[in-house]
Amino acid sequence: MKKIISLLMVAFLIATMTTVSGCRREEPKPAATEADTILIGGAMSVTGIQAPLDSPAIEGIKVAIAEINANGGINGKMLEFRNMDSKSNSATASEVAKQLVDQGAVAIITSSDYDFGGPAARAAQAAGIVGISPSASSPLFGSTMLGDKQFTLSMWNTTMGAVMAEKAYIKDGLRTAYVITDDFIDYTKSLSRYFVQCFERLGGTVLREDIFSQGKVDTAALIAHYKALPQKPDFIYISSYMPDLGTIIKEFRTAGIDSPIYGGDAYDDPALFELLGPEFGNDIYWDSHSFNSEEAVPGFTKYNAAYKELFGKDVDAPWSMAGYDVVMVLAEAMRAVGTDGDKIAKYMEDHTFDLLTGKLDWSDAASGHEPNKAAAVIKLEKGKPVFIEWAIPEYLPRP
Amino acid sequence: MNAQIFFEFAINVLSMGSLYALIALGLVFVFGICKLINFAYGEFITVGAYVLYFLGVFTSLPWPLVFLIGILSSVAVGYLSELVAFRPFRGRSLDALLVTSFAVSVILQRLFQLGISPRSKAVPVPAFFNMNIELFGLTTPLRNLLIIAITVVLLLILTVIMKYTVLGVAMRGASENFVTARLMGVPANLVISVAFIISGFLAGVVAIFWTARTGSAEPLMGMSPLLIGFIAVVIGGMHSLPGAVVGGYVYALIANILSLTLPTSLLSFRDAVMFAIVIAFLVLKPEGLLRGNYQEERVG
Repeated sequence: MKKIISLLMVAFLIATMTTVSGCRREEPKPAATEADTILIGGAMSVTGIQAPLDSPAIEGIKVAIAEINANGGINGKMLEFRNMDSKSNSATASEVAKQLVDQGAVAIITSSDYDFGGPAARAAQAAGIVGISPSASSPLFGSTMLGDKQFTLSMWNTTMGAVMAEKAYIKDGLRTAYVITDDFIDYTKSLSRYFVQCFERLGGTVLREDIFSQGKVDTAALIAHYKALPQKPDFIYISSYMPDLGTIIKEFRTAGIDSPIYGGDAYDDPALFELLGPEFGNDIYWDSHSFNSEEAVPGFTKYNAAYKELFGKDVDAPWSMAGYDVVMVLAEAMRAVGTDGDKIAKYMEDHTFDLLTGKLDWSDAASGHEPNKAAAVIKLEKGKPVFIEWAIPEYLPRP
Repeated sequence: MNAQIFFEFAINVLSMGSLYALIALGLVFVFGICKLINFAYGEFITVGAYVLYFLGVFTSLPWPLVFLIGILSSVAVGYLSELVAFRPFRGRSLDALLVTSFAVSVILQRLFQLGISPRSKAVPVPAFFNMNIELFGLTTPLRNLLIIAITVVLLLILTVIMKYTVLGVAMRGASENFVTARLMGVPANLVISVAFIISGFLAGVVAIFWTARTGSAEPLMGMSPLLIGFIAVVIGGMHSLPGAVVGGYVYALIANILSLTLPTSLLSFRDAVMFAIVIAFLVLKPEGLLRGNYQEERVG
């Protein structure tokens, strides 16, 4: 038995190693200062749990790069994008970011999440270059935690939580909530926290908050808790991630629970819509970064055409637009001030950007690079997402 | 506790436990004979789930046929992985086999991620699975009752096979003492292949009910059942088939009690409590609840 236990431990060690390693650092190459291309590094996940969010962003990045290069590049130089798989692993993210810096990257695009993308941003900061995430929404993703050259293109969870709290309480007149929180990553935890804070500030009541861990959701227990509530809640707020998010909603609906369900941008996944289908995909509301329609996003038709030319299909996950926007921001800054990290960061702080994901304005480094941005409010109707409006919360909680 | 809550609790424990028992059983079948802790077992389930997805979305085959092909594909992957990955290493150390099982697991996961999609795919489920049944004043989806019934039937069939057929006797002999069993004329290749086939078969059945609950298939979905299987096996006993079944039900019982009784603030520590129980078992009762026969650690 002892042998088995020690074998098991060896096995787990190997398991962790396979995710961490697999990316030896190469000998530093001389930075390509004189090269005729500008390298933008991507430390994003093509594999693992973060891949569903990062892969669409990578597609958006490629659309932007192709567009810029077709129009003559930046100050006569072509843009090159090189992504190294960070495998949804924080140690790997840091490692590949360092490798990309060694290869001469002038900026790093990180995973769309603080836990998975933060380490890559730290590596970028250490190298004195800009790191930017397409849609990491944890307020930890900013200059306070990561350094004065680190940004996220996304609204923070403060906005994301507040918008849905105000929608539920003010616009929809809902007063009581049952909250389910996934303690998986900072994103899922802080989103619930800001939502509850805003909802209670408005006068709403949280009847109960349940916490579970991604990958181990016990829907039977959650349903039992829901049924044992002293009164039927006006709605349910769920902060989680795919795939468990889909499981919870499907199981609640299967059990005949028809309360409206509210949540954040993790809902913005075509896989969720397919899973719920027209039968269960009703009365579900969330806020996100963008929406696949010209009506909601001026410029979407043009973007979709460019996307289709490159990938042979229509845009599915709207997160890809955040990837596109990241490159557009970097390109605008580099056109104006060149490739120096400090200057790019300063330019990004000082300017307002008009993007597919809305108007964006960052605060200065001292106040955290807080993004000032609106949220797209979306609902699911008969399994299809429907755009409601762009919203900016009246009250914003402090991070 | 009023009657309704009790029945709801009982159905939850029995349906969850049945699924977990099948998962654990699939692990123990291979472990019993090869002494191999098969880390690729979760991927056998994933393969079944993806086949259900492809058949359910892109064909209009009747459900029984979809399920049958799903199960067969898990069986095929189990059998093929034994043939391609494990058989060449069988004479080597246990560690080599263990590393091989990791390799199979990682290779399959990466194949799903790069070949199909890193995003989860919605697996269609027949409507009757989610049909709600009224029972003793509570409602539960039909699949919860189905899994209990199917587990009972499968356990009966497996018991008959293991007890009363030549193959079963040979397998039990091989799991007790492989070398002696071979000396008595038990063909090693056959017995081990059959163990993998049964393991794959159970994985296929698990895939149906697992995806019926989660609604989706994704590359890393095998991890959760694998972990559950390990825990159930540690609780029930690594060396005995009935132990694995008992372990599955005990796991479900503990998990359900914890989720009902832990206060909200402690709910996120449910897994910590589960693991503490596992550690306690490893320290105090390493052979598990049901002790198997004396085991050799080596397959020749």
